[in-house]
Amino acid sequence: MIELTVNGEKRQTDVSPDMPLLWVLRDEFGITGPKYGCGIAQCGACTVHINGVAVRSCQARIGELGGAQVLTIEGLGAKSLHAVQKAWIDHQVPQCGYCQTGQIMQAAALLDKTPKPTDEDIDMAMSGNLCRCGTYVRIRAAIHAAAEKL
Amino acid sequence: MRKALLIALLLAPSAAIPVVMSLAADVTPTSEMPAAGSVGKTEGLAAWKRVEAVLTHPRCANCHVGPDNIPIWTVAGEKKSRPHGMNIHAGDSRIGAETIACSTCHMTSTAPNKLAHAPPHVGFDWQLAPVDFVWVGKSGVEICTQLKDPKRNGGRDAAGLVEHLRHDAEVNGFIPWAWNPGGGREMPPGTFEDHVKDVAMWGAAGQPCPE
Repeated sequence: MIELTVNGEKRQTDVSPDMPLLWVLRDEFGITGPKYGCGIAQCGACTVHINGVAVRSCQARIGELGGAQVLTIEGLGAKSLHAVQKAWIDHQVPQCGYCQTGQIMQAAALLDKTPKPTDEDIDMAMSGNLCRCGTYVRIRAAIHAAAEKL
Repeated sequence: MRKALLIALLLAPSAAIPVVMSLAADVTPTSEMPAAGSVGKTEGLAAWKRVEAVLTHPRCANCHVGPDNIPIWTVAGEKKSRPHGMNIHAGDSRIGAETIACSTCHMTSTAPNKLAHAPPHVGFDWQLAPVDFVWVGKSGVEICTQLKDPKRNGGRDAAGLVEHLRHDAEVNGFIPWAWNPGGGREMPPGTFEDHVKDVAMWGAAGQPCPE
């Protein structure tokens, strides 16, 4: 049995240790904020935080996450919307929205480490999160706006 | 098969010592280094040429980049190397701590990740080699001179370099992974065991570098 904490709640699962965290979150725990995009860490749609670090959950084997603290988009805004989520709404960032939970989790991780990022910081941190709708300009603007509020 | 068996045995602590000793009868129980003076300069230079072929291979050199901190990619199926995709900069930390951690995609795991184009794993946090250990863009002679300089090799003497290779294997590190990268990736010449032997021979010969 593997035990971990997801969005502040203790969870247990007895799935195969090789199962990626993304599958566990979506299919076992019903937490569907993290999205399946590519399955090989090329798109960032599945990004969550593990022990405070942004991670592609499609690459994290559940068997290696015993005791881990996992945060998904559902947990990020559980009590009140995170500054990044508010900025996303203010700037109407999403178009189709599929990549946006990963974008927001990556942006929140960036602001944890770099509270006032430059355009270059944002480009470096966010380039692994793809958006087929091309919302990158609004993503960057929203991150700057969130940084002002934090 | 032989390589896989050797690595598997070397990773099992109880089996490691007998295997190492049976491979080379001329090593001392505490070191794989041939006795000092037992390897001539010509043989040592030949061993170095094989080491150089490994160190300059993209699979090994791609993370030994300079102060721009940008890792290099040699994508499976491609011959030409290029900067790591996704605008990745590992930062002065060399682990990406400043912007996006290497471990965001390259999970720390003793289990391999052999899926084509998926980020490889090793048993400790993915990172660039220290900036003093730059190999990309350097000649074989430059790398040779650098590798035997304790100020630029992590303070290691010849035996220390061999121990470094063995320690890396014990922790499922980058070096043995280079010969087992999966996903259709190209590998450096020879085997990990060949490489350890060559580094030891080069060291026993006094670490000669080409003129």
